[in-house]
Amino acid sequence: MAVVATLGGRPSRPSARLGRRVLRKVVVLVVAVALLGLLWTGYKSLGRATGDVWPATSIGLPVKTDDTTLPAFTDIVTRPFEPQRAGDDTLLWRTILDAAVFTLKEAVVGFGIGIVLGIGIALVMVSSGWFERGLLPWVIVSQTIPLIALAPIVVAWGHQLEVPGVTWSPWMSVSVIATYLTFFPVAVSGLRGLQSPTRHALDLMATCGATWRQELVKLRFPSALPYLLPALKVAATASVVGAIVGEISAGVAGGLGRLILSYSQQYLSDPARLYCSVIGAGLLGTAFVGMVGAAELLLLRHRPPEAR
Amino acid sequence: MSAPAAPAAPAAAIRLSGVDQVFNEGRQDEVAALSQIDLVVGAGELVSLIGPSGCGKSTLLRVVADLVEPTRGTVQVNGKSPRQARLDQDYGMAFQQAALFEWRSVAGNIELPLELRGVGRGDRRARALELLRLVRLEDFADHRPWQLSGGMQQRVAIARALALQPKLLLMDEPFGALDEMTREHMQAELVRICAETATTVVFVTHSIPEAVFLSERVVVMSARPGRIAAVVDVPLGARDEDTREDPAFFTCITQVREVLRGRAGAGAVAGAPGPAPGADVR
Repeated sequence: MAVVATLGGRPSRPSARLGRRVLRKVVVLVVAVALLGLLWTGYKSLGRATGDVWPATSIGLPVKTDDTTLPAFTDIVTRPFEPQRAGDDTLLWRTILDAAVFTLKEAVVGFGIGIVLGIGIALVMVSSGWFERGLLPWVIVSQTIPLIALAPIVVAWGHQLEVPGVTWSPWMSVSVIATYLTFFPVAVSGLRGLQSPTRHALDLMATCGATWRQELVKLRFPSALPYLLPALKVAATASVVGAIVGEISAGVAGGLGRLILSYSQQYLSDPARLYCSVIGAGLLGTAFVGMVGAAELLLLRHRPPEAR
Repeated sequence: MSAPAAPAAPAAAIRLSGVDQVFNEGRQDEVAALSQIDLVVGAGELVSLIGPSGCGKSTLLRVVADLVEPTRGTVQVNGKSPRQARLDQDYGMAFQQAALFEWRSVAGNIELPLELRGVGRGDRRARALELLRLVRLEDFADHRPWQLSGGMQQRVAIARALALQPKLLLMDEPFGALDEMTREHMQAELVRICAETATTVVFVTHSIPEAVFLSERVVVMSARPGRIAAVVDVPLGARDEDTREDPAFFTCITQVREVLRGRAGAGAVAGAPGPAPGADVR
């Protein structure tokens, strides 16, 4: 008979699949770091041997290889386990970790508010073509304003803001800046996702006598998830970058932004330290994106393979 | 078996009179989709709408379903306004695409109309399993729609349309995307299900054999503006696979084809007078 089940092998348990994925990523990461170390060290010893020119030529290497410009790879690797600075016994990794946690807090708060705001804007836009045409250009324009220009305004407004029960702390200004970067991908992809149900699916909901609310909850939101989750990964990165840049612009101490700023000012005396703080910032963003990715895998586990 | 006699007024499942559907009326891109449609579908009847593309057969179904509002004329579904009938979920509808929600299990998809009605979890599940037995997919309750073949997906869609035990089933080319073998199988299934559940069916199709096989009356439409060219009675009795070999089956097919080609002579001409200009017949 023509009606036959097409059972493409049953998907394995999501936890097992997640485990395999994580393991594969860790292996790839270790190999990549090892390769980078080899390249870095090779380049440095080449430059040291030839006096910073390509072998048998007088053409200079693009980056000088002295210990200030290009600290030894091993120095960067071992630096986290030495004191942060003379007179402070805190190990560098600990200082960076504390700063990262501080920045992560700002980023997560900004990320959360950004999601709510972004989905809210997407909802308003999807509710009427009028709002969509009126609002979407402003959403896009908002992203052309440089963060450096925005930060002082946010800080100035924050000082004057009187929310009952909340005393405005400087880190909140940083969260606002992170929000500003986060809501955009969420709003744009949220709009696309909420508009993604087919005519037939919408007709079906209508023929079932569904209310607007039911249509949102039972059809539009689930349809929007495959659009929203990749955007949330972008938003997660953006919120960390926003928090770091925001800290620098708003002059907030305690986070990675300030740390990177002061380490770069003291670069000449301790170059490896700056590299370490930058790597810390990268790891923070990666960890955040990883968490969102895990949530994505979990939420989309029942979707067709091509949607995952 | 055929019931060509106009059913008594209270038994009518659908009653359309003088329905016009004009899109963008008064503008340059005005389109007259339906013109002067008069049609009565009796309770328990299986009626097909057939016609060339763009003849408004889907629009007619959407008017009945209250998915579009007719420009002129009156529509009654189960003796109510289409809007009331829709809100009361008096009818179930199936579309050309199964339109199953990929994030729900097969049973979950069938439960959707019940969920929107506020039916409790246990009752929903029981009803879904009952319907899965009806469409012979009882082993697939917890599968995901994308794990099923096209024909199986359409059967799930039909089960979903039947979830609230509607008296009326509106079907818009539901088997259009299926291969011929699956299609014939699905037609037989539909005839069986409708006999078991005593459901009135309005079935839109562009396949002449499909229309003839399924229905007691075939409403032939012509295009621009969409009119009813003729209503062809199909006195074939109870349908089974032998029906497809029956000479009377071919006679009816020929009859419908002639009306589609604009040759008069078949069936009682209802609605619009004059020959049907259905040029682009497949």
